[in-house]
Amino acid sequence: MAVYEGYEAANEHMLEVAKACAAAAAKAPTLTGRLNLRMEILTGEDLEPMIQVLETLGKTSAFQLHDATAFRAYKNEGLLPPVLLLGADLTQPPLWNCGGCGFPTCGEYLKYLSKNKGVGVGAYGPTCLWKVIDLGIAADHACACAAQHRAEARIMFSMGAVSMFLGRLEGCSFVLGLPVGPVGQNRWFDRMPWTKVLNYEQRMMTQVAGAPNLFFAFSGGGRPILKTKPRWWEDPTFMKIEQDEAFMEAMAQGQAEVYEKIMGYAGVLEEEDSAE
Amino acid sequence: MTRIAINEWPPDSPPDLAKKENVLLVAKLMVNGALTAPFTGGVHGVEAEIGHGRPELEKIAREMERLAHQEVPKKLKKPFLYEAAMVRESDAVVFLGNFRARHTPMDAGCGLCGGEPDCSFFYERVSHLNGVVDPTDRKRTTAINGPLCMLRAHDLGYAVGSALWIASTHFVDAKPSYSVGLAGRNLDFCMNSEVVVGILIGVAAKNPYADIPPEYHLTNMTQMVDGLRKIAVITRQVPNHPYMVFDPTRKTGDQDKKEEE
Repeated sequence: MAVYEGYEAANEHMLEVAKACAAAAAKAPTLTGRLNLRMEILTGEDLEPMIQVLETLGKTSAFQLHDATAFRAYKNEGLLPPVLLLGADLTQPPLWNCGGCGFPTCGEYLKYLSKNKGVGVGAYGPTCLWKVIDLGIAADHACACAAQHRAEARIMFSMGAVSMFLGRLEGCSFVLGLPVGPVGQNRWFDRMPWTKVLNYEQRMMTQVAGAPNLFFAFSGGGRPILKTKPRWWEDPTFMKIEQDEAFMEAMAQGQAEVYEKIMGYAGVLEEEDSAE
Repeated sequence: MTRIAINEWPPDSPPDLAKKENVLLVAKLMVNGALTAPFTGGVHGVEAEIGHGRPELEKIAREMERLAHQEVPKKLKKPFLYEAAMVRESDAVVFLGNFRARHTPMDAGCGLCGGEPDCSFFYERVSHLNGVVDPTDRKRTTAINGPLCMLRAHDLGYAVGSALWIASTHFVDAKPSYSVGLAGRNLDFCMNSEVVVGILIGVAAKNPYADIPPEYHLTNMTQMVDGLRKIAVITRQVPNHPYMVFDPTRKTGDQDKKEEE
């Protein structure tokens, strides 16, 4: 006989749901039949390096800050959910010569790959069209499984990329992260931890900068006014297009900091390995 | 009429057509799943179209057979021919296409298309005006007009995955396929999309897409049934008998005697 606190028991159950999601992803039908999906479930302290790198990235990008803030808050509350990583090497084509990658044949593609394989913001490339669709099918099955278990979850480019750069699922060219839990309402959409990060003005400015069309005044004069305040016609704000050197520098500095952090973790891992 | 008779055999009979109606319901639900799947940035980029009915399926199967014999690499010839046979055994086909992969990339510098931290690989290889891709140039020299935004193409995987999930939840057998998608796209299904996946769906006692014997384009059940029809008619003309006056199961000479008893 035992009495379990409901939320505690439910949050513990999320690891089992994450395992079910892995089973669903493994069972997903694919187009090529050769995805070679790889998976790992990360929990607790093993997620700390990823959260730290996300926080560093978040200094220059709201996208990563959004995720970093939530993970940090859930960790502080003792609610850090397990994260299912799903990845594969998407650079190897099934030799169908479809042309989707931009090369006339898979042979030409492979020749380019052997000399030009590189990395972008979150993945290695070039990529085979059918492999990247197959990974989508598998990741979707993991998401669908979480949804059918009524678990809070969101498939994440950010968490996957950071995990890959920190050495998880070695050999994969693209990795996605699926936090499963914590239990509750809208843990990954309208996030409570995010309420403290941006104030009303910052939120509205994000809207204006991201979708200025909504706030444009009559543009026939050739210099459109951007309506940024209630009495927008007084001391009007104009749209101006210019390069932003200060921001570019901040971005470069941020990237250097991220690189340093990742290398730091790589160094720590090597020390631990040699100690064993 | 207060009854609905439902049966998978004979093909295209009223009971089979009633079954196909059921499958069509699931096909529509599969599209719901596809449209609400998780997408990069939550951005809508997937279109769907359903093909069903004997004439439509036959057209798709024939285009796949044309591709098999005339266009695709040798290693795809058999898969394309086998899957054409599967189209004829399917109740419907759900096409899902991504209309952004070629025309409106994600522009996130993810690295998937060319392994670079910007989108230069894509934009250096397509015709565009300051990043606005020209969709009017539809000339193709390969099956798919690449390069594509691989992050958008990845989204198509989620749409296909959710559609498959809905199918299997309803115990409808389903198979996603390159051959069906390519043939469908050539026939203007999902005509805004450069990349289209075709999902075969069918309800039958035996999953029509599994346990495939060799040379399936020639050894499938339609071929077997026709083989039987072609030979059974000839065969019966050899052991023929005037059955009203003669029963070959009885010994000769006994025929009239036994009738009298």
